[in-house]
Amino acid sequence: MPETRLLLKHSGDPEYRAIAGYMAEGGYVGLKKALTMERQAVIDEVKKSGLRGRGGAGFPTWMKWNSVPKEKTKPHYVLCNADEGEPGTFKDKELMENTPHLMIEGMIIGGYAIQAEVGYVYIRAEFMDCARAIKMAIDEAYENGFLGKNILGSGWDHDIYVHMGAGSYECGEENAMMRSLMGERGMPGLKFPHAPFPTIEGLWNLPTLINNVESFACVPHIVVNGGDWYAMIGASTKNSRGTKIFSVSGHVNKPGNYEIEFGMPLMELLELAGGMKGGELKACVPGGSSVPMINKEQCEKAIIGYEELVEVGTMVGSGGCIFLNEHTCIVTFIWRTTLFYARESCGKCTPCREGSGRLVAALARLRSGDDAQKTAALRDIDELVTVMRSASLCGLGQMAVSPATSALQDFRQAVGAPKGANT
Amino acid sequence: MQTATEQELVTITVNDQEVRVPKGEMIVESVKRIGLDVPIFCYHPRMKPVGMCRMCLVDVGMKQKDGSVRVMPKPQTACTLPATEGLAIYTDTEQIRKDRKGILEFLLVNHPLDCPVCDRGGECPLQNLTLIYGPSTTRFVEEKRHLLKAFPLSKYVQLDLERCIQCGRCVRFTEEISGDGQLAFLFRGALMQPQTYELTDFTSRFSGNTIEVCPVGALTSAEYRFRARPWDLETSPAICTECSNGCSTWFDHRVGEMIRINGRTNEAVNEEWTCDKGKFGHNYLNSPKRLTTPLVRDGESLREAGWAEAYERILAVFKGGGGAVAGLSGGRPSNESLFLWKRLFTERFESPNLDHRWHVHLPGAGETVAGRHGIREVNTPIAAFEGMPAIFFFGGDPAAEQPILYLRVRKAWFRNEAKVIVAAPEPTEADNFAYCVLRYRPGSEAALLGGLTRLLLEKAGGVAGADELRQAVARFTPEETEVVTGVASGALRRAAEAMAEGFATAASRTLYNLPNGADVVTALTNLAISAKSADRFNLFATEANEQGALEIGVLPGAGGLDTRGILEGCRDGGVRALWLLQCDPFERFPNRELARQALENVEFLLVQDIIETESFHHASVVLPCCAFSEDDGSYTNMERRVQRVRRVVAPKGHAKPSWKVFSELELRMTGETPPFSAKEVMGMLGSAAPQYQVSAYDHLEGEGVILPAEGGAAEPRLALPDYDAMEGSRELV
Amino acid sequence: MIKEIWSDVVKPILAGLAVTARRLKRDKSTVFYPEEQREQYPRTRWRHVLTRYENGLEKCIGCSLCAGACPARCIYVESAENTDEERYSPGERYAKRYEINMLRCIFCGLCEEACPTGAIVLRKDFELADYHRDDFIYTREMLLEKMPVKSDR
Repeated sequence: MPETRLLLKHSGDPEYRAIAGYMAEGGYVGLKKALTMERQAVIDEVKKSGLRGRGGAGFPTWMKWNSVPKEKTKPHYVLCNADEGEPGTFKDKELMENTPHLMIEGMIIGGYAIQAEVGYVYIRAEFMDCARAIKMAIDEAYENGFLGKNILGSGWDHDIYVHMGAGSYECGEENAMMRSLMGERGMPGLKFPHAPFPTIEGLWNLPTLINNVESFACVPHIVVNGGDWYAMIGASTKNSRGTKIFSVSGHVNKPGNYEIEFGMPLMELLELAGGMKGGELKACVPGGSSVPMINKEQCEKAIIGYEELVEVGTMVGSGGCIFLNEHTCIVTFIWRTTLFYARESCGKCTPCREGSGRLVAALARLRSGDDAQKTAALRDIDELVTVMRSASLCGLGQMAVSPATSALQDFRQAVGAPKGANT
Repeated sequence: MQTATEQELVTITVNDQEVRVPKGEMIVESVKRIGLDVPIFCYHPRMKPVGMCRMCLVDVGMKQKDGSVRVMPKPQTACTLPATEGLAIYTDTEQIRKDRKGILEFLLVNHPLDCPVCDRGGECPLQNLTLIYGPSTTRFVEEKRHLLKAFPLSKYVQLDLERCIQCGRCVRFTEEISGDGQLAFLFRGALMQPQTYELTDFTSRFSGNTIEVCPVGALTSAEYRFRARPWDLETSPAICTECSNGCSTWFDHRVGEMIRINGRTNEAVNEEWTCDKGKFGHNYLNSPKRLTTPLVRDGESLREAGWAEAYERILAVFKGGGGAVAGLSGGRPSNESLFLWKRLFTERFESPNLDHRWHVHLPGAGETVAGRHGIREVNTPIAAFEGMPAIFFFGGDPAAEQPILYLRVRKAWFRNEAKVIVAAPEPTEADNFAYCVLRYRPGSEAALLGGLTRLLLEKAGGVAGADELRQAVARFTPEETEVVTGVASGALRRAAEAMAEGFATAASRTLYNLPNGADVVTALTNLAISAKSADRFNLFATEANEQGALEIGVLPGAGGLDTRGILEGCRDGGVRALWLLQCDPFERFPNRELARQALENVEFLLVQDIIETESFHHASVVLPCCAFSEDDGSYTNMERRVQRVRRVVAPKGHAKPSWKVFSELELRMTGETPPFSAKEVMGMLGSAAPQYQVSAYDHLEGEGVILPAEGGAAEPRLALPDYDAMEGSRELV
Repeated sequence: MIKEIWSDVVKPILAGLAVTARRLKRDKSTVFYPEEQREQYPRTRWRHVLTRYENGLEKCIGCSLCAGACPARCIYVESAENTDEERYSPGERYAKRYEINMLRCIFCGLCEEACPTGAIVLRKDFELADYHRDDFIYTREMLLEKMPVKSDR
């Protein structure tokens, strides 16, 4: 099965970055069409398309859009999560650099659907080029009347602002992102059932729609071609529709972004990326470093789709697919990934703040200790991760343990053995 | 903490036991209703919940329609979970026990076990909860985190970063309660630490409270550092007498010495907070300059003497002294002392020369707020400020003058979005949450109030007898007021807008220190009356028992001299003997030169105080007296609340309670049976000043009682001040 | 008569003296106190001593745990902070005042048990009698061990 390039169709085409080139390829048709539709009709199209959040959780996009209060009594906001920090994921970067207008158009349509007057793009601090591209695209959109007052004569006003993060991975979590945007410390806040969803009380306690870059980029296609058309893509899967960009990295011959239909077997994605480099496949982390790792047998069974990957014990996540060859030391790999989470922990809740650091230390013992130390370390890790998973406040703490838990499930035999035998 | 009167109740089950709780109440509070306790570190009932420490995890389920319970896959924090109908809480499952143990283990991973030298050891929540829920040993072999120890954040607060468990209570205190926001978290992950901005001094007026809210020994008091362990201390309830707020405190003492002061919960006054003045300002109690024995003057020097000798010398001068003797008091003595002192002067010495006020303006009986306008000077209890929709701070920095009232008003803004209008000549701490700041030129107070009165009279209308006033303020249009006071006319209009629906006035009697103080107070009262807010007018006292002195009537009698008159009399020879009761004219009287001349020239000077003051050196006889912690008694705070103090430590040396000194003097003059206890004195006070009947000692437990209003409420009267009295400001215009 | 005196008086006296004479051969169970002193059992608890580390620093950190554990409430501790110029113990804190009221002490040894640094120990010196009540307040100076002799000088 080849790639299905929908979002990345014009990636790499410098013409397409400017609004003229974008419009020549049918850009902003979706917005024009949407503005002629009822707001609810736009949401219904998205519902028909079966689009699910591309940021990691896979929550149905239309449900978010639909839960924003229809009766407008106070300002509404749109927030685009462009703080792509997951190790192994680099799809949003390519989307923003190469097809900035696609995302902007999606955001404007989203804003129209939920009657928002302001949109924010929260871009990761390191993505200078993306921010430049997005800012340029926004300026062009203003010039062409797609943003600002009375957009295309519809009587609806919308503005989009770019906000740069300050280098925290944690701010990719929507709650922390909102706080960061509001000028507070980037720490996650209370979530349901402790507090209402952001679509009810988000930025400044006002309804806020938060979607990933890729989710917004899908919207213009859905509006132009209709939800039913989009729903046909990837129809072989249970509940996953459309295309998904996977950032393939690791020991492959052609790492990069691959946009594929849902329903493709994982091994075909590997083939698209030019196959393994330097040895046989040992393990794969299909959705960014915080999703569980699967071994070769599971990889061979795996079909790409939200439910299908859960069946083999992992997740689609944000689509950062890392393939590891047989010469990889799994313990070193999870030690390094966990170290990332320990450094990026915001420090708010105890299990993540202290636990991630201890997990790194225990993994280090597992890496270099003698047999007795390894046994002790394995026992420590087991107890540590149960507390972290059950007690952490936000996803970071809960997911930070998943590389360790999943890998240790599969590779316990190997890592428990003395060093040398498992490399 | 919600004051809402009617709340919807919901039924939840806690460990299969049904309980009805207000909707939206946090589960951590709800479980207390059936006597259970959920362990907490970061949660504080007076701050917004954050769910940081994860100690309060409980298993949560929802009752389904068929009666079964569907339990959520993950435990939830009880401190952030609001109660909803059908919620099922399990506080003691296997998983919860394991999680709590795990959290404590994590907290102790980087917490040094230097409990034996930690000032918090023995009263430390982390110690306690570890004992109950925690593991007995650690499994982690790695080195603990090493950071700064005993770093002085300010003169009073020290920070030990190694001990910090990052619960954020201190940070949230400065953000939510004191409002200065001086502490914030730096860095992230395991290195996260509370700090001041660029390590500048932690100058909050309420910094001491962070020591108390800290659940470990990370923030400790520099004053208390290593002075005692909690089990060495005796703790007794007391009242702070540093200002007129009258906060409830815990007085911790050891072998008769004050060791530290902590806040004591009193919902009506200070909730549980103290200001730094109250927390760290009591060191004078242990001062080597404390007076311990009566002293009498022999020639150039003072020598120690017995009480009998001192009494003889006093009576020789004061007995039958009439108008030639006088007494001046501060606002520090207790109600009982002031009452007997007044009786001693008026009935035994037959002298009308008595005063407790030290302002520039000393209004006579007809010139006070009560006398001129027919309303009381204090009408609003501190707690009632919480529900006020609009509050008008006038004249000074409330955080400095009335710190606890300031916290209440800030809470009114923070919780209930009260509109706070701040009028002050200089920046105040209330500015950062004020709805509107009126920064006037010093001296133009009356004009500003005139401008506001004009706007409010336009809006409210229908105030009896307002015509003359309307004329008097007619020229203070907002534009004219802007020219005179420097307050933008827009700000003035905005303030008047907020105040039109009625507002609570919060000003202090330091207004009488203004050159045109009497006019300003009258103008302020007019303003309140013209917005029909006379029942919320407050001109607060600033000293611990200043209000009590006023209620008891430590004021010049008929034909008597006021403070200025007495001091002038001393200077000119009209007054031969002066009794200073816990006050120092050098410190208190605005005109220092007059104070010096008076004390140098007066024939006989009696100084009765707890500590050596400047006046002490001019004294003929010196009597030591007891501090608030060494004597039974009661104090009337600024909201007219009478609160009880008890003897918690023995008096220093031969010091005697003041009321006892007065009763012994009376005994020597009359031979009548004197009162033997402060309780008896309070009974006598009740018959002399009827409003004190409610404050018999049997009724003074807990929060104390507010004195009832005297007589029927008279119709507030307007008066005409000189709105143009602006000394010194005319030149500025 | 003489016979009776012999049998009732003299004979029993002689018999008693014989017992005494026989016992003279055996070991004495008393000692010539105070010239001689009996060896004490290893766990005997008598007079308290505040011990030092080998380098001469006091072990006591002034934590007052002994005072907290004391059932007779006979220990009084006041602590202060070490400075680099004036250092009494390792770490931040030392005991500025350390007093034991020996009249009240019941020699239960709970202070020794509570001590986190092993500073206070009950040793075998039991000769604690004195003439004045005031002298029974043992101060820090009295309780502290002598400075260890430095052998290398």
